[in-house]
Amino acid sequence: MTDRPRILRPSRRLLLGAALAAPALRAFPARAAGEVIVRTPGGTYDDVMRRHVYDPFTKETGIEVRPVAATSAKLLAMFRANNVELDLIDTGDGQLLTLERMGALAPIAYDKWRWSKPEDITAEVKNQYRVANFVYCTVLGYNKEHFAGGAPDSWADFWNAGKFPGPRMLSDMASGSANLEFALLADGVPKDKLYPLDVDRALKAMDRIRPQIRRFWDTGALSAQMLSDKEVVAGSIWNGRLQVLIDRKAPLAYTWNEHMIQVQALGIFKDAKNIAGAQLLADYMLQPEVQAKYSRDLIYGPTNTKAFPLLSEEERARAPGGERSRQTGFYQNVTWWEDNRDRVNRIWSRWLQR
Amino acid sequence: MAAGAVALEGVTKRYGAETVVADVSLAIAPGEFFTLLGPSGSGKTTTLSILAGFVTADAGRVLLGGQDMTQVPPRGRGLGMVFQNYAIFPHLDVAGNVAFPLAVKRVPKAEIATRVAEALALVKLTGFEGRYPRQLSGGQQQRVALARAIVARPGIVLMDEPLGALDKNLRYHMQVEIKEISRRLGTTVIYVTHDQEEALTMSDRIAIMEHGRIAQMGPPREVYERPDNAFVAAFLGEANLLPARRDGTGVAGPGGARLEAGAGTLPGAEGLLFIRPEKLGIAPGTAAEGPNSLAGRVRHASFLGNTVRYAVEVAEGAVLVCDAPNGAGTVLHAAGDSVLLRWRAEDCRLLAG
Amino acid sequence: MPLTLRATLLLLLPALLLLSGLFLLPIGWFLTASIAELGTWPEILEEAEAVLLSGAVGRSLLTTGWIGLVVTLLTLLLGYPVSYALSRVRGAAFTAILLCIVLPYFTSTIVRTYAWMVLLGRNGLINQILLGLGLVAEPVNLLYNRTGVIIGMTYVLLPYMVLTLYAAMKAVDQRLLQAAEGMGASPGQIFLRVFMPLTLHGVVAGLLITFILAIGFFVTPALMGGPGDVMVAMLIEREVEITQNWPSAALMTIVLLAVTLSLYAVYSRFAEPGEAVR
Repeated sequence: MTDRPRILRPSRRLLLGAALAAPALRAFPARAAGEVIVRTPGGTYDDVMRRHVYDPFTKETGIEVRPVAATSAKLLAMFRANNVELDLIDTGDGQLLTLERMGALAPIAYDKWRWSKPEDITAEVKNQYRVANFVYCTVLGYNKEHFAGGAPDSWADFWNAGKFPGPRMLSDMASGSANLEFALLADGVPKDKLYPLDVDRALKAMDRIRPQIRRFWDTGALSAQMLSDKEVVAGSIWNGRLQVLIDRKAPLAYTWNEHMIQVQALGIFKDAKNIAGAQLLADYMLQPEVQAKYSRDLIYGPTNTKAFPLLSEEERARAPGGERSRQTGFYQNVTWWEDNRDRVNRIWSRWLQR
Repeated sequence: MAAGAVALEGVTKRYGAETVVADVSLAIAPGEFFTLLGPSGSGKTTTLSILAGFVTADAGRVLLGGQDMTQVPPRGRGLGMVFQNYAIFPHLDVAGNVAFPLAVKRVPKAEIATRVAEALALVKLTGFEGRYPRQLSGGQQQRVALARAIVARPGIVLMDEPLGALDKNLRYHMQVEIKEISRRLGTTVIYVTHDQEEALTMSDRIAIMEHGRIAQMGPPREVYERPDNAFVAAFLGEANLLPARRDGTGVAGPGGARLEAGAGTLPGAEGLLFIRPEKLGIAPGTAAEGPNSLAGRVRHASFLGNTVRYAVEVAEGAVLVCDAPNGAGTVLHAAGDSVLLRWRAEDCRLLAG
Repeated sequence: MPLTLRATLLLLLPALLLLSGLFLLPIGWFLTASIAELGTWPEILEEAEAVLLSGAVGRSLLTTGWIGLVVTLLTLLLGYPVSYALSRVRGAAFTAILLCIVLPYFTSTIVRTYAWMVLLGRNGLINQILLGLGLVAEPVNLLYNRTGVIIGMTYVLLPYMVLTLYAAMKAVDQRLLQAAEGMGASPGQIFLRVFMPLTLHGVVAGLLITFILAIGFFVTPALMGGPGDVMVAMLIEREVEITQNWPSAALMTIVLLAVTLSLYAVYSRFAEPGEAVR
């Protein structure tokens, strides 16, 4: 899409954007002077961030922060319509990569940072146009009661329905990506040799487990619900979602073995009205003390290496990222996914309906 | 008893506190053209519905062809019916509509075709078989309804105001045709109408209904000329109803005029004398001459062509209507003229007030 | 009184403006601009072939059509008696039935669908009852499979069928039914020879409108379906949200729109007033 002739771009970009963004354009009330508008996943996330990031930031700088929700398509539409209503984008790394490739983002001003030190940020998640504010991961979660006699501890175990029977779930493309990595791990591919993913091999492995798959989940809420309602007894699930259930005394558990780390990152629209404010907020958000606070509440992993020592032993045990992830987990390669999402989606849709 | 005989015995129907049909009994002979006549709300349509079986009577019996059909549902009664709105099926063509009563009885197709053709010929609709109701005029729809009612050769046909929706000319035409067809087929017809002229023209016998009761029953001429009560007298055509009272020597009218009636009596001290306008003779004069004569003054004269209608005021402010034939050499009276009205004792009746 | 063409247009103008402003123009733009992004005509055709003949779309169309058909027939089967009852009662009973049918529409589709998930889950109410009565030994899978999609969609679409049928049944002249009875027809014959033919246009209209709505369904199959229950609208949503391949989404939209519009053309023929009804 990006390498197509650009001759007709401006007018088409305007036209298309206007069409799709029409409902989006009026979605947010007029901005206050100096305010930073930030896209967030919404929900309780906003409450945590307001307490630990936005309010202290306003107190320190006098700059107001307003979180708004927006889907991927809406972000895209805004950019195409030349009507960027947000400054800072707090979203999945893959989504940011899409925007980056479209030329929608401004570089992160690492040299102007005053609160955070660029060298403290984990190298894997520090890019020219996007910088991670936390990592989360997809783990193998299961029902402790169902697997009282021995729980699956690897994706090979998960694929072994004979030894570990029961209905299962994995993610659908509609959640962002399908769990092809886990299929390959189960099929014997070492975790440092996963990328580029062998899609055919992954789907062949998927064929074997598919009869046990009750559903491919498309939202985090659904995956949590299926596991807590015992619709499934095992499956891939985001660690934060699962931890909330465990903290509520659900008989669930997970293994850190072969977890897939995914990255949430910050990016700044190059056409944003308040680029300076957005840069400041990104800088503020990533400092060790702040990161430690919101990571603790969200059960996510800090990206600032200096934040880990600020967490208690118990908290570190729950958080993805850091040293343990380096040993037992792997980073999802968003670049590969970004390059192949179209193709995989098509193959996946066909495979689903076989 | 023959197939066409109909009888109701003590039939009563109530809706809540209101008695719609009150103890109605009647017997209709096979082949008779019988009319239920009455104003709206008099119970005639309910009586017909009880006959048809759409309405169950609270008391009494319904006998059709001598059999007790009181508990039999409509489809078991084997009646032909023409409905007020024709109730022609819009999704069926003419042939399909007429064939309906036969088709539901699973009559063989070939026989249906013959009988439908016969019925359509009878109502002069041959050639209209494939038309749909929406392509027909009101009169044609009426004929379809008629053909459908007779196609199964029922001994009894019920008709509920079948001509109500037609204009006057067409109505007259259809009256003749219905009568003609029923006579030809020998069918018993029970006909409901509120149109007294229609009832008089078509019927062998008429039952006049009032408040759910039969006020009088008899051949048209009898009910017209010898009404049993003031309601029947006034409902059928024009009637003069003069106040009458008993005195020492006999019956006295307005101004003490002597009245002699060929029939009827006054049940009490006071009542009415019934006399049709066309039975009154009118001549110039100023004083009564013997019984059944009244002197008066012409208040109003209307020229109607073959008759002249006079409104004559007599003693005590009573007004009589008199229809005088516009015969050869008739002298017309003008408003204000003094006239003398006379009539024959056998043309008038005494009725309860 | 028949309206002149001008008066008719004038009366329709506000609705037309609204529709074109909020629907036709945006969707027209979306389709043309997205597809124009593909480049020249040969490039567009090549992409169309790749997208539409990829197998996923074809299969999804079959799935969509099949689910739509089953759901539509089920709504007819369930809706016909309900509509009949609705057309025959008055007063409180009428209000009660109508409310039962329409009430779910005051809640969002997602809430309703979640309610179904509570009922139909492996440990849901229905399975607990079945297990409790000893009718089944293992929980029955009513959710996250084709059965779930069909139950959910039938429920959501039933009101459209019921109300369409109700309109047709209410228009049936009751005197025709009485006439048929008087002419010797049994209750079965009255239904088959009179009532059903007179409501047939309503049945056709109900089938078409329900089917048209069914094939555009997205939320219910996405929430209640199993791995293979991919309807076309879900594919389109993925292209828009996940891969952000709008040209591809536009091509699929055109296919779905074409199917819908051709069905609508059939529908408008049957919904023609004054033809079937007197």
